[in-house]
Amino acid sequence: MSSRADVLVIGSGAGGAPTAALLAEAGYEVLVVEEGDMVRQGDAVPFSLDQMDRQYRSGGVTAAIGRPSIAYTEACCAGGGTEINSGLYRRPPEDVIDRWRTEHDIADFDTAEIYAICDEVEAELSVQPIPGTATGASEALKRGAERLGWSHDEIPRWMTYSSTDVASGRRRSMTETYLPRAVGAGARIETGTRVDRLVVSDGRATSALLSDRQGRATTVRFNEVIVCGGAIQTPALLQRSGLRHRIGRSLAVHPTVKLTARFGDELNVPDDVPVHQVKEFAPDLSFGGSASSPGLLALALSDHWKLFGSAIEDWRNLATYYAAITSEGRGRVMALPGLRDPLVTYRLTRRDRALLGRGLARLALVMLEAGATEVYPAYRDAPIVRGRRDLAAMQGTFGVGKASMMTVHLCSTVPMGRRPKVSATDSHGLVNGTRNVRVNDASLLPDAPGVNPQASVMAVAIRNARRFIERSGS
Amino acid sequence: MVAFPLARLIAEFSDQVIATDLPALPSARRADVVAFTGRRIAGLPSPMKIGVGVVATIVGGLGRVVGLRRLTGLLARRPIPVFGDYVRLVRSLSYAYVWETWPSTAPDGSPVD
Repeated sequence: MSSRADVLVIGSGAGGAPTAALLAEAGYEVLVVEEGDMVRQGDAVPFSLDQMDRQYRSGGVTAAIGRPSIAYTEACCAGGGTEINSGLYRRPPEDVIDRWRTEHDIADFDTAEIYAICDEVEAELSVQPIPGTATGASEALKRGAERLGWSHDEIPRWMTYSSTDVASGRRRSMTETYLPRAVGAGARIETGTRVDRLVVSDGRATSALLSDRQGRATTVRFNEVIVCGGAIQTPALLQRSGLRHRIGRSLAVHPTVKLTARFGDELNVPDDVPVHQVKEFAPDLSFGGSASSPGLLALALSDHWKLFGSAIEDWRNLATYYAAITSEGRGRVMALPGLRDPLVTYRLTRRDRALLGRGLARLALVMLEAGATEVYPAYRDAPIVRGRRDLAAMQGTFGVGKASMMTVHLCSTVPMGRRPKVSATDSHGLVNGTRNVRVNDASLLPDAPGVNPQASVMAVAIRNARRFIERSGS
Repeated sequence: MVAFPLARLIAEFSDQVIATDLPALPSARRADVVAFTGRRIAGLPSPMKIGVGVVATIVGGLGRVVGLRRLTGLLARRPIPVFGDYVRLVRSLSYAYVWETWPSTAPDGSPVD
């Protein structure tokens, strides 16, 4: 079987969906190929094992190998990460845009233009603060920061609400916004189909080799291809297609360590995450709240179950929080011959390790100030922290090698710009050495922005899609 | 999927880890957890699956010599690099499944009415 399209868009997340919508609305014949399934909102409970089975790659069990290894999650569904993430929205900070433009020599990367696109995205996604009171777990974070005099804020979300009840929120993810726009403008979306390889000759890609879950092969011919598979799958596909120059060598993430806090009152909301974050030490260090279903709480307590395990009986009074850092470390994504999935590695620097230790101690302090009666840090053989004097014991026993590390923000594996020896694409996502292979997702970001990256990804994707349309004269 | 006999080795090890950690978990539930853990490990990205397969083979072989129960207890008490990650993987998956599926479970695995 074979088919044809003007533009093949691979992936349908925060990069692929707006790209497909803009190009289809500009008159291109667009085919979107998505490896995962279309799962409607409400069909899977957020942060549940069922959702991980249906919407996460490898059931959510993926890790960047290193010492220590860092667990990460990647979506594998229509809408990509926007269907499964926390829904928190933060524009790229001005100093980050400036740094990307100057240090990576990105042409036409104007702060005003990026923020104008952010305005559009915020309107399209209904970005707004929550209408009523935040969850107890979120209020606890805020309370702890206030008592310490540390800066904090509520992160707006891309959600609509039918009442002042936070639980009435409905996510304005890609399957609710840009993908319907793309389809309305004539784009076709094929789900459950993986792109195994692009056929590239003399710098020009002419077709893609696809396979479905039953292994049935298909070929799609196209004039242009835009790869939007995310920071792991995009470089892996390019490498499988023979494009390796500076690709997959600079994975950037926000590594996190976690703890669980126990309070006197019930505060657990299993299917939601806190909207407050502590920014006193940003951008180096940020604190926020994690999903805290009973299963995930048990996971967070499992590093010292003998000591922490009894807390699980009180799970309604527990919530898990994280300390995230902007890392100086870097990782790699490598497609290996004969293997379906890439090998992902990550190496933390000495500074990263020290910062994670300090972050966990400060986060524990926030929890104590918030009124936590006990704090359970997520590392092997950790002590229970019941007061300030226990913090010293905690810092004395902490080691990154013993911690359950994780991350969710993966970026920078195909960085854009004009910086020799680093940039893998030009300033608008055209892969170096090719004439029609573009990237338009988190892979392009020169580094991890220090905030939730979805707004950055969408702004860059829309900027590049518009540039493509202008240059092609459609 | 993880090919036989690797699946069996992983199932035996998972069963032993759960039996050690959660001794009061009813056997039917333990079987569910072992099946879930096996499914998730079978779905790992291929490089991770190969790594787990190598470790599982070594652990399975050593377990035949010194006894799987004894070996599991040792690995749980004294985490050795790489082998400790195997224990952590099995334990994480198991605990997440137990408390998501049966939130009213005591820390030793016994059902709470």
